[in-house]
Amino acid sequence: MAKKVFSVIGKRTWRKDGVAKVTGKIKFTHDISLPNMLYGRVLKSPYPHARVRSIDVSEAEKIGAICLTFKETPKVKYNERLVSVPEATYKDRTVLTDKPLYVGEPVAAVAAETEEKAQRALELIKVEYETLEPLMDPEEAMKPGKPLLHESVVVADRVVKVENNVACKLEISEGNIEKGFGEADVVVEREYKTNRRYHLQLETKTVICKPEIDGGVTVWCTTQSIHNTRILLHQIFGIPLSKINVKKAALGGSFGSSIQTNTIVPICVALALKARRPVKLVYSREEDMHDHCCYQVILRLKLGAKRNGLLTAGEMHVIVDIGGHQIQAYPLLGCMAGWWVSLYKIPNLKYKGIAVYTNKVPSCAMRGFGNPQVTWAVETLMDELAEKISMDPLEFKLKNYVGLGDIFWGQGPTVKSVITSCGVEEILRKGAEMVGWNKRGEPREKRGRVRRGIGMARGFHTSGAGGPLAGQTVDYSGATVKVNEDGTIDYLTALMDCGQGDYDTHAKIIAEELGVPLRNINVVLTDTRSTVYDVCTHASRATYVGGAAALKAAREVKGKLLEYASRVLDVNPNALKIKPDEETGQGVIYIEGVPGKSLTIGELASLARHKNWGTFAATVSLRQVKCPPHFTGYFVEVEVDTETGVVKPLRIVAGADIGTVINPGLAEGQMHGGFAMGLSMALHEDTPYNPESGDLTNKGFITDYKVPTAADMVDVEDFKVFFVDTHEPTGPFGAKGIGEGATNPVAAAVVNAIYNAIGVRFYELPITPEKIVKALREKEGK
Amino acid sequence: MGEIIEFTVNGLKRRIEVEPNELLINVIRGKLGLTGTKYGCGIGECGSCTVLIDGEPALSCLTLAIEVDGREIVTIEGIAENELNHIQEAFLDQGAVQCGFCTPGMIIMAKYLLNKKRNPTEKEIKEHIKGNLCRCTGYINIIKAIKEAAEKMQNSNVKAISKEL
Amino acid sequence: MYINRVNTKILPVEFKYFAPKTVSEAASILNRYGEEVRILAGGTDLLVKVKQRLIEPKYILNVKGIEELRFIEDRSGEIGVGAATKLSELVGSEIIKEKLPVLHEAAEAVGSVQIRNMGTIGGNLCNASPASDLAPPLLVLNTSVKAYSSSGERVIPLEKFFLGPGETVLKPDELLVEIKIPCPPEGTGMSFLKVARTSMDLAKANVAVAIKLDGNTVKLCRIAMGSVAPTPIRLFQTEKILLGSEFTDGKIERAVQTASEEIKPITDIRSTAEYRREVSKVLVRRALKKAYERVKEGEING
Repeated sequence: MAKKVFSVIGKRTWRKDGVAKVTGKIKFTHDISLPNMLYGRVLKSPYPHARVRSIDVSEAEKIGAICLTFKETPKVKYNERLVSVPEATYKDRTVLTDKPLYVGEPVAAVAAETEEKAQRALELIKVEYETLEPLMDPEEAMKPGKPLLHESVVVADRVVKVENNVACKLEISEGNIEKGFGEADVVVEREYKTNRRYHLQLETKTVICKPEIDGGVTVWCTTQSIHNTRILLHQIFGIPLSKINVKKAALGGSFGSSIQTNTIVPICVALALKARRPVKLVYSREEDMHDHCCYQVILRLKLGAKRNGLLTAGEMHVIVDIGGHQIQAYPLLGCMAGWWVSLYKIPNLKYKGIAVYTNKVPSCAMRGFGNPQVTWAVETLMDELAEKISMDPLEFKLKNYVGLGDIFWGQGPTVKSVITSCGVEEILRKGAEMVGWNKRGEPREKRGRVRRGIGMARGFHTSGAGGPLAGQTVDYSGATVKVNEDGTIDYLTALMDCGQGDYDTHAKIIAEELGVPLRNINVVLTDTRSTVYDVCTHASRATYVGGAAALKAAREVKGKLLEYASRVLDVNPNALKIKPDEETGQGVIYIEGVPGKSLTIGELASLARHKNWGTFAATVSLRQVKCPPHFTGYFVEVEVDTETGVVKPLRIVAGADIGTVINPGLAEGQMHGGFAMGLSMALHEDTPYNPESGDLTNKGFITDYKVPTAADMVDVEDFKVFFVDTHEPTGPFGAKGIGEGATNPVAAAVVNAIYNAIGVRFYELPITPEKIVKALREKEGK
Repeated sequence: MGEIIEFTVNGLKRRIEVEPNELLINVIRGKLGLTGTKYGCGIGECGSCTVLIDGEPALSCLTLAIEVDGREIVTIEGIAENELNHIQEAFLDQGAVQCGFCTPGMIIMAKYLLNKKRNPTEKEIKEHIKGNLCRCTGYINIIKAIKEAAEKMQNSNVKAISKEL
Repeated sequence: MYINRVNTKILPVEFKYFAPKTVSEAASILNRYGEEVRILAGGTDLLVKVKQRLIEPKYILNVKGIEELRFIEDRSGEIGVGAATKLSELVGSEIIKEKLPVLHEAAEAVGSVQIRNMGTIGGNLCNASPASDLAPPLLVLNTSVKAYSSSGERVIPLEKFFLGPGETVLKPDELLVEIKIPCPPEGTGMSFLKVARTSMDLAKANVAVAIKLDGNTVKLCRIAMGSVAPTPIRLFQTEKILLGSEFTDGKIERAVQTASEEIKPITDIRSTAEYRREVSKVLVRRALKKAYERVKEGEING
């Protein structure tokens, strides 16, 4: 395909919300206040498993607080994540509960004139609890005879009994694994345990609800989906959708923590409806850490290969410790299977996934939705296998990877499509050369107190959740493009930008298509009333799906512009083109090779008003029938101090195939940020529980939830990012996603680098200095 | 019982009543409506609430409002004399802004550093922003931006001097 | 119901606030309210504890405005530091950099630029964290501290100052006013090392060493560690191994072994007792060698 020359795509530009962000003027939900507003606080269970015997709010009410308990809130069972179809959505929670299932689960709530008063009121509420046996370990919780956290859950409209605390399960098999493993020359089987990470998105969960005179509500909240928030509130409170308006604000990071409607949103709505006044509820950091975390998994993986380097069979068994409620456990089980089978071609395979309830903070998606966990296991086991068959892991991976023309499971077994663009080989070859892969040496050759090692891992993530069949995942987006009377453009989308720069991506796509200067595109801060449905900003779909919707709307508008321009200029519309013109600051409609026959979009739009032709605008709703994988590869050099066990990253080479690069600066930023998050997954993060109290050991304080600081990162010149030259035929201007692929293989690359340095493999994350020192001493002892 | 305090915020004199247990962050964000200063953790670990007090960086979430009586405060809203300063421009040039929640604190620290030292090393830059957590960028583009700002400021100083000559 | 009492967005406790301008005013407030007063000498520890409801003071006494508590004085043979001197002032002080470089290094290892600009040396010591980065170097410098109360003042060796986590020998009416640090004898080599989870963290373990040699014979040896016992501690047994003997690898290894036996580490959220014991050996060994190198550098440069 001939290389296209773009006017704005691929150019480095200031992000559209940038000036507002660097001046502190942009409004996050945290920053919004309303007149006559009350401040909310949530009363949280101090026990991991209990039943509320009695609750007395009279003292709190005496000081003027509005109080709310489970007795007054709707009993509707809900699941806060509405990305899947009803048959795949397991509903198990209510607005407030009388049977808390984790330390921190909301039992009651108050609203008062000030935060201080709300706090006082909270402390005046008296609750009597009957404590129940807490189940803190998933394998323990599954044993027969253990108390059930949930007797039943609701799936679609069916009540489903829960057995042995198994929230849901999924089994998949293809081919014949007995035969497959029989054919293998080498079989390796390992058990992996990942950490229970916390998103640590910088803006804690926040919501403001304003009750309206018509019985409806206006809501601002930290969310990745304004429309799903609206639908959920409709499901819980029965308010007609037309009377619920969820408004956008800037979002201070998310990383999956707000794919679902936050727990505090329905609580705040209930408070506001009772108070008949606006209520703002901001979770403190320690409350936020008691609200959500990443899925922790125990993963047993077995792979078989022939000496010629071909995989013959694989078996994966996953136990997911989901905590007290299921937010998207069932889709997760499908996705984890999908991530596994989409890394390498395994002719015979068997997968079993079980999600188990425990008395811990509920887990939700976190950047990669199970993919970093799966990729860590697969990419490190592939290295082990390669070593056993004496093959360079890079060649071994290139021999087996799922690539061009292969089937890709973009969102579990029900969302499959054929891969139509792939830069895996180029990523690995180029990265290997840049990092000096062949000079990395063997662990046994390394000596000395401080040892260096280079590790590599590759990965991918889906770009959206579309497919040729409807599948179990809702995935479509919408866009409105409208030409103002001066030729500037208003763009309206329901899709949320969590910070990654989706609005800029869309604005560039529209500017490119319409041939107008980028500054003429105004991205409107929308709400659910002014937009058509977008499912959610997740699955790295904002560019590939949201961007495609923007492109479709722009294309329709362009057609109308050209049609009317052709009347004005008296030519065939097919002869017309549009290009940005610096002099007029407008898109100019012209005929190639015919000077003088032109007019600006502003002139045309103005004329359309005076001649009563109407507004040039289009609203579209779009589903992609694919979700192409974007591919990444990380080469990481680390230094391990064998005496202190401290691991320090030294050099990073990161390659990615994301199709056409629309925002180079922000795309590089995704790779940098994705690396930092993966590094932290490998080395630092975890939220262990105190077995006595059943609470987080760190009690929610980030003093003891360490993530890397600037001083823990490599130097600027030691972090190289490159994008390979690919074009996704189904993507807007050839583009795919990047956000999650940017982090998925990182932990595996770091772990492989540690192995290359010291010759020890670790099967439990994070790999702390404590574990390294212990392992090295044991190794020496042998 | 509240007490009246007087202080300067971004060049404007302010006189307000505060309670002894009111935190500076809540006065700045709530009473003064300057919401660019952010709450991120409340315990001094994330740096989102950083402001300058008499030119020195401080965590407004761990400062009593009553303590700043008679002092001069600069928040992100008062960081640039005109529209944008070199640091803010450099943050935009380098793609150093993603979600933007850490950005005000980062820019305050960059401003403090570059006021002190015109040509900081990468190590010094890292040391100055290591108390400011960012979960989006991996810090790389932020460090690049501070470097760019330092260069720009030096060049503009050279220009200013040559104009005088 | 701890979880519902914590609120880091506000200070969920009401108190009366004092900001005296002189030490004697401060002392009379302490005299009057005693145990119900908490001293604010930075805020980075105290206010966090108030938010976490670990303490609920009725009175808060801010000493940051007491000018007479903010100084760094070179008194030939001793450096005097006012208790309300900020850590950033320690880091920036030419006197400290030149005369007590080990204290400069340790002060730089505390928290972030913001934390150091708020926290004070007195606050750091009175907080009595076993993990204090300032305590080990001050201990090997034979520091003493001066406490002041309405009934008089007393000087306390730092070694005797800490009683346990968060506990010092200060009486409720006493105010820490000065840190008196004797300059180490000419030719002393010193070092400070720290191991932590990230670049901004409390120590899992830290160490400070001061040694002086005559030829290759150790004439002075002081070693102190943090985060390996209920308080920062001097390792007297370890010091004895080296004192008076040749500075050899063999001796160092004996000292290292003794150090690991002398400390009393525990397992907590930051690390394990086992690791602390192991890494303490590494830290002591490296710190000794680094201090030794500095002695040698000093000989060459001197």
